[in-house]
Amino acid sequence: MSDVKIVRVPLASTPRRAGVWLVVCALLSSLAPHVRAADNARQIVEESQQRTQAASQRYEGVLQVFDAKGKVSDKRWMLERLGSHGASRMVLRFTQPAEVKGVALLVVNHPDRASDQWMWTPAIERDRRIALQDRSTRFFGTDFSFEDLEERDVDQYDYALLGDDSLDGVAMWKIQSTPRQGKSSQYTTSTVWIRKDNYACARIENLVKDQVVRRLNYLDIQNVQGIWTAKQLEMTDVKRNSRTRLTLDKLQYNVPMKEDDFTLQAIRRQ
Amino acid sequence: MMLLRLISWPYFRKHILRTLLTTAGIVLGVAVFVGMHTANQSVLFAFNHTVDQIAGKTELQITAGETGFNEEVLETVQGAATVAVAVPAIEAVVDTGIAGAGSLLVLGTDMTGDRSLRDYDLEEGDDAVIDDPLVFLAQADSLILTKLFADAHGIATGSQLALGTAMGERRFTVRGIMASSGLASAFGGNLAVMDIYAAQKMFGRGRTFDRIDLSVREGRTIAEAQTELRTLLGPGFQVDAPANRGQQFEAMTAAYGMMINISSLFALFIGMFIIYNAFSIAVTQRRSEIGILRALGATRGQIRALFLGESAITGLVGSAAGVLVGLVLARGIAVTIGALMRDVYGVAQRADDIASDPLVLVGALLIGVTTSIIAALIPARQAAAVDPVQALQKGKYQVLSAGESRVRAVAAVVLAAISVACLFTSQSRLVFYVGYALVVVMVLLLGPLLSLGLSRLLRPVLRFMRPVEGALAADSLIQTPRRTSASVAAVMLSLALVVAFGGMARASYDSIIVWMDGALNPDLFIAPSQDIVIRTLRFPPEMAGELEQIDGIARVQAVRNARIVYRGTPVMIVATDTLSLSETVHATPVAGDPSTMWRETHEGRGVILSDNLAELQRLTLGDLFEIDAPHGVIRVPIVGVVVDYSDQQGTILMDRTLFEHYWHDDTINVFRVYLQPWAQVPDVKARVLERYAGQRQVFVLTNRELKDYILRVTDQWFSLSSVQIAVAVLVAILGIVNTLTVSITDRRRELGVLQAVGGLRAQIRRTIWMEALTIGLLGLILGLAFGAVNLYYILQIVHHDIAGMRLDYVFPYRVALYLIPTMLGSAFVAALWPAESAVRGSLVEALEYE
Repeated sequence: MSDVKIVRVPLASTPRRAGVWLVVCALLSSLAPHVRAADNARQIVEESQQRTQAASQRYEGVLQVFDAKGKVSDKRWMLERLGSHGASRMVLRFTQPAEVKGVALLVVNHPDRASDQWMWTPAIERDRRIALQDRSTRFFGTDFSFEDLEERDVDQYDYALLGDDSLDGVAMWKIQSTPRQGKSSQYTTSTVWIRKDNYACARIENLVKDQVVRRLNYLDIQNVQGIWTAKQLEMTDVKRNSRTRLTLDKLQYNVPMKEDDFTLQAIRRQ
Repeated sequence: MMLLRLISWPYFRKHILRTLLTTAGIVLGVAVFVGMHTANQSVLFAFNHTVDQIAGKTELQITAGETGFNEEVLETVQGAATVAVAVPAIEAVVDTGIAGAGSLLVLGTDMTGDRSLRDYDLEEGDDAVIDDPLVFLAQADSLILTKLFADAHGIATGSQLALGTAMGERRFTVRGIMASSGLASAFGGNLAVMDIYAAQKMFGRGRTFDRIDLSVREGRTIAEAQTELRTLLGPGFQVDAPANRGQQFEAMTAAYGMMINISSLFALFIGMFIIYNAFSIAVTQRRSEIGILRALGATRGQIRALFLGESAITGLVGSAAGVLVGLVLARGIAVTIGALMRDVYGVAQRADDIASDPLVLVGALLIGVTTSIIAALIPARQAAAVDPVQALQKGKYQVLSAGESRVRAVAAVVLAAISVACLFTSQSRLVFYVGYALVVVMVLLLGPLLSLGLSRLLRPVLRFMRPVEGALAADSLIQTPRRTSASVAAVMLSLALVVAFGGMARASYDSIIVWMDGALNPDLFIAPSQDIVIRTLRFPPEMAGELEQIDGIARVQAVRNARIVYRGTPVMIVATDTLSLSETVHATPVAGDPSTMWRETHEGRGVILSDNLAELQRLTLGDLFEIDAPHGVIRVPIVGVVVDYSDQQGTILMDRTLFEHYWHDDTINVFRVYLQPWAQVPDVKARVLERYAGQRQVFVLTNRELKDYILRVTDQWFSLSSVQIAVAVLVAILGIVNTLTVSITDRRRELGVLQAVGGLRAQIRRTIWMEALTIGLLGLILGLAFGAVNLYYILQIVHHDIAGMRLDYVFPYRVALYLIPTMLGSAFVAALWPAESAVRGSLVEALEYE
């Protein structure tokens, strides 16, 4: 490892972390040709994850669902996240339209297992646990699944470097991630494209067996408070031929937040 | 086959009307059998279909009877190693308020995971048609309807629909339409789906689920999953395939099925006598033809085969027609049975399609043909025994010989003795039924003797009334006892059925009224549904205190009732404050000390069983009673047995504290409310309704209204039997028409001579009418007599095998009085056409006859 040259891009040039599925990307050590490919891939992902670290995050999301017939439905939410990756907590609260205002989702991520998720519906004043079995289902009619909302930790997957690639003329690493035993996932593998210039994640393709079922593109990557963040994410459900676009507004990192606000009691209160 | 074509076919063609009448007996018998069974099966099929369609890919269902269980159970189930997907569900039957729409079955489920188990087959093939899945979950008023229901009532996505909920009438917004297949075809399409947590709130379920539907993890077997889940959950839960609910439904309605079987058999039995009569007459009329055949070398076996072949063909044709008529009848009957299931058992079900089970149809054909062949056995034997020489001589071959009469009388006495012995020497049900069958055989053996004897007794009366016509009518009957007795037997059997069912109904009504007067004595009953047996809507416990605050109310008894499974049978738990109950209920227990049993029950040291449960499950006072509950096993002694008709399969009366402890359920189905002596029922009723206006769905029934409701349901229960009885009477009337038609044909020459020597047409008519009335009267006398015996047996069957109800033997005099004009009137109507045909025929032809 001593030969591995870790290229640290300044904080102002790291991949985004949007809260919604932000897989991970990562680390490098590509400049060491004698390092085994698997280690190399893991290091790329680790570095990518490292660069997305933030104490907290807040943004207003605009969610647009485009169905196969071109019908578009819009929603807005406010997302707050405390911590990063495996140990983070996230509260997503819908703000528009009026019919869904107040509906909240609490996600408690764990480094060693699947996250715990609860949904709060103010109209009936009830919370419900999103069971592990339901993580593969669509997230409220979007093209994201509940599992896609989890923040995954680098240690939950095995990696393999598939080679170099380019997207829109930008050089990328193409890495295959496979869930480790014990990590419950609907996907057999995922293919991740990580930019070589700033370690920002540019695309993820999720596969069931050898078929791509969902594709997430990270668009409009900007530097926000030193973290390279995609301001727009577009998830495509390949089978349904529908897509969901999430646009991040008023994105802030490292905003002061209280841990107490990320509990089931807290989402019931608000 | 050659004989059938050359001999039988011309005979049938010549006597087409009689052939039709004979066949009609089988048609009706088989039609009743097929109609009732198919209708019953259709309701059962519809129930199973609803269960299947709602179950979707569900492999196992977890229930705790009807009581439901706490939400926490879901996490345990979802955490089981053998479970792939587990989804909670609750069901509620609600009133739509749309004229003619009927009830709507609302399935509350967790839509986030439910599509793994159920295919909602949403219109336009996508859940985008739930206009917005998030809005659907976020809004408590969201509903998905079936296309069938939506189209029928002009409802579209975005429309609003008012439904009765625990919180009063609420407007729901239709946010999805399911295509009319799969799940959407459940409950005849009257199905709505909503979010389970919204449904919990709307239907007052607290934090409970009715059941959990699950699929088994790949690579694991259903048996493994059952074992794991039973271990995880304990004995208070049932872990069964969805089809098991159908079996429970069948067990619950077993009493009804038994009733259907008994009356269907009677209908067929009566039909058998029509066939017997027709063939006996045919043998008599065709004696000369048989003689010629025998003289030409036909063997006895060929003659026997000829008649049995004819009867088989008659049976086959009649049965086939009966099957078709039965299928037509089934549709109408199924609607009635569906309503009955809802009102008696609280299980709402719609049978929009007729489920014709090939087994029932083939079985009906076989039964019809077999019945026909059995009915023709004796006539065929008689035909085979015809002596070729004597066959060409005219004689009194319809007369009973003294030897035969003696043999019949001796056999009847022996059978009577055996049947009495069967009653008193053995507890075995088989022996009891053998005894019952022997009584029927005995009565049939005695039938001709009694018909003959009674005809002779009646002759002077008839002569007194009309010297010529009366004597002719009586002589006709006396001279042909075989022909007469078969018709009389048909009438007798149908009336015995009427008397037995009438007596049972009367005794049931009397017993229910006594029970209602003693146990259902509150001034008001407050329920969350207008159908008091529907238990899918419930009240919160705090309502008891609120009611007590209402001016004029003296005492409130909160009652939670629910079906649980006991020894594989669904029985009813009635949980209430038993100490309070003991202070208001006025009934002498069947067993148990009234001074201690209520206190012990109140303290949770015992349960009180209904008499019918104790009888059906063979339980007695002091036995240790075990109930598997979701939160442990209750093991307490039976401290009392009381008469209670809350449920046909039986009732377990326990204190509500015990129920709450073992079920963690404090909801209420109904409040029994006693008023202050000075309070007026209408005033308090108005105050209760006012108190909960706009807050809760509250139905307040006065004591009279509840009792009327129960009696109305009891009426419904017996109404289908009445239909069967009506058919049985119709079959008997057909028998009379048949006998008279034959009688007239036989006496065509005699009647012709009478007219030739100056007999008036009016006299001939009166002769036939009197003959018919006499047959009716004989059937009536014997039917009432046999009915009295039959009633005893039916009450025993009801007590020990059907409902466990201990009914007092009271002969239904009112029914008997009603039957006298009915049967005599029917006999007279039956005689009108034969009488007219007798007087309107050609006199020359009549004199040339024979």
